[in-house]
Amino acid sequence: MKALHARYPFLSAAREAVETAGVDLSELVASDSAAVERGLERVEWAVTEGTVGEPHRRTRVELLSYPVARVLVSLVDEHILLRRYARAEAVTAYDRFSEELTATAEFQSTRTERLDRQDLLAEFDLSGHVHAVAGEDGEYRVDVGTYLEHTAGQWGDEWRLVNRPLADGQVPVDEDELLLLVRQAVRRRVEDGLPLSVPDAIATELDDETERVRDVLADLDLTRDIDTVVPDLFPPCMRHLLDKVQKGEHLEHHSRFAIAAFLTSIGMSTDEIVELFQVNPGFGEEATRYQVDHIRGETSPTEYSAPACATMQSYGDCVNKDDICEDVINESHPLNYYEHRLEEADEEELVDWRDGEEDEEDDDAG
Amino acid sequence: MEERTRAYLRGRFGDYYRRAEITPPPDANEREWGYIPWTSGPGTTMVRHKSLLDLGDIEGFLERERPRHVYFSAGRYDDPSAGSMSEKHWRTSDLVFDLDADHLPSVTLGEDSYAEMLAKCKDALLRLLDFLEDDFGFEEMTIAFSGGRGYHVHVRDPGIQELEREARREVVDYVRGMGMEFDAVIDEEAVGGEVGRKSPAHNEYLPTDGGWGRRIHERLLAEFEQIKSLDEDAAVERLQEYDGVGEKKARAAWNIAQDRFVEIERGNLSAHPVVKNFAERIAASVVEEDDAPIDEPVTTDTNRLIRLPGTLHGGSGLAVRRIDRDAVDDFDPLVDAVPDTFVGHEIAVEVTDGGLIELLGDSFTLSEGEHTVPEHVGVFLMARGRAEKGPE
Repeated sequence: MKALHARYPFLSAAREAVETAGVDLSELVASDSAAVERGLERVEWAVTEGTVGEPHRRTRVELLSYPVARVLVSLVDEHILLRRYARAEAVTAYDRFSEELTATAEFQSTRTERLDRQDLLAEFDLSGHVHAVAGEDGEYRVDVGTYLEHTAGQWGDEWRLVNRPLADGQVPVDEDELLLLVRQAVRRRVEDGLPLSVPDAIATELDDETERVRDVLADLDLTRDIDTVVPDLFPPCMRHLLDKVQKGEHLEHHSRFAIAAFLTSIGMSTDEIVELFQVNPGFGEEATRYQVDHIRGETSPTEYSAPACATMQSYGDCVNKDDICEDVINESHPLNYYEHRLEEADEEELVDWRDGEEDEEDDDAG
Repeated sequence: MEERTRAYLRGRFGDYYRRAEITPPPDANEREWGYIPWTSGPGTTMVRHKSLLDLGDIEGFLERERPRHVYFSAGRYDDPSAGSMSEKHWRTSDLVFDLDADHLPSVTLGEDSYAEMLAKCKDALLRLLDFLEDDFGFEEMTIAFSGGRGYHVHVRDPGIQELEREARREVVDYVRGMGMEFDAVIDEEAVGGEVGRKSPAHNEYLPTDGGWGRRIHERLLAEFEQIKSLDEDAAVERLQEYDGVGEKKARAAWNIAQDRFVEIERGNLSAHPVVKNFAERIAASVVEEDDAPIDEPVTTDTNRLIRLPGTLHGGSGLAVRRIDRDAVDDFDPLVDAVPDTFVGHEIAVEVTDGGLIELLGDSFTLSEGEHTVPEHVGVFLMARGRAEKGPE
């Protein structure tokens, strides 16, 4: 087994290597504790750190930990885990290949085998769709279909097709952007086929590890984890309610409760909520303050949580459902929607509403 | 619509289909087919989830059934006749664009005549084709008059077949200019600082060779060409007509147009603040002038059913006409989409909703009541629900 395959276990050559070696998955999970341990680590790191961690020193263990990790993710079968895991594998691969591709010749010679750009593009059927610009180092043109396949809905304004100098069916990208595109292709490759259907024997063998992943996921307290306020990424129902509040329209009690509880869950303080609501003049600050305090359990014994989609639907507060509502979060919980949008967005592009406010105040002062 | 009217139209649609040659779309057997029959009652029910296998050959089916409306799917499936989308197993979809006069901002409903609406729709079609041909570089396109109030473009290039909804929405936003942000459109290029001179770390450029950047640049260039052609005083006077442009800015712009025009050609926004200022102004209005206001859900829906070119539109009696690219400029739907079958006869109709009708280059103003009219006019009125069949 080659070091290259261990570094990039999603490559088709890596999969072939595992197959050729005649590795039996049920035997592997029963006998190779190192591969299982590293597989678990991949998944745990994916959830908590957003990468799959440092490679195991033994190539074989590192390579075989990849199928183990995929099995674990499939056994837990939570949408958020699938997404985080695929993203983490992609981020790790991206870190590795960007370093390899930009390393100096001297450094490269120490590697026995390395991935070159052409191989990487060919692996994801990108070779025919990515064209180097003659005479311009590090400049490429990507066929528009390929560009959209990998970038649509992913990153900020600069990536939107409408802001790109599209001409003759091709989108210019630079070296860094090209590698991000490949990162996205890796993510798709990793996601592909997940969740796998796992035979009972293997599932039983991995009971402890599966439980461990569930614990790690449960520890991810959504309410504390989010703590980012980007109203543009709110689910349609909450955007709708917020719009109404800000326009000064009357909200029924359950609607007012829903938006206040949602905002509390994403980490907003009572003061901040009051401030966000206060765009309209006919706004009852005291009532809002009381209600928000009540929801967060400060003036009542119970801490209320934001209503799930089913509750929103029964009160008629579920409006403007979109694809994410229906297909991604399966109409489960508005917080899942929001978390998904945050997850999909590029962290550097996100501007927390609270930071924006501060900036404005600074401007006013200056 | 009364029974005798319905029976008449269905019969005459049958006559049309006996003579018509219908070219089915590529991969017709992988597509879902649907139609709306001439049933009575207020609700129209579409018969759908049909495969070509269910219908038999298209021309034979149309002759037998004589439907009111006929559709096929943009999508291709493993099993096109399965009753639900998930059972159909989607493979690929054409990228379809729908321009409908009802949705055009330039159209004033209730004020513009049908002919005027269609003319504005064709202007939008030409703008759409500009995007599809020049920007997207699409080559396999079918353009069709919808038979009603607009135009359809079916794109069948291989590169877009597998795109999902989200990617298609990016295409929609592109041709509509939605989300176009000036700051995101411009490029930054690092420039080396020169000795003894304060130089910005980056120069900002407007892309000149593609996208909305090119559209903004073309206008910027035209504006500066104007300025260049004027003498200083005339230019300064003209420029000051813009909001926020004072004499100082105007003189700066004129000087650049005279001495550093090449910077404008290059799209160099850092040449002078006034250049960027003008470019931003243009960016704010370019979308309104250049966008193609297509109907978003049609393009993003990979399972959409679209009218089959060559069939008749049951709400107008006009043909859904495929238009060659070279013929788009001269295409007049109110002449070219009138089926020959209905030309050269006269029929009696009872007009229930009169007014102006323009077809085949003639215009008729009909009052309510019984009239003998050319058949194509009668069919149009009956199909639109503005007349009933008169006694023979």
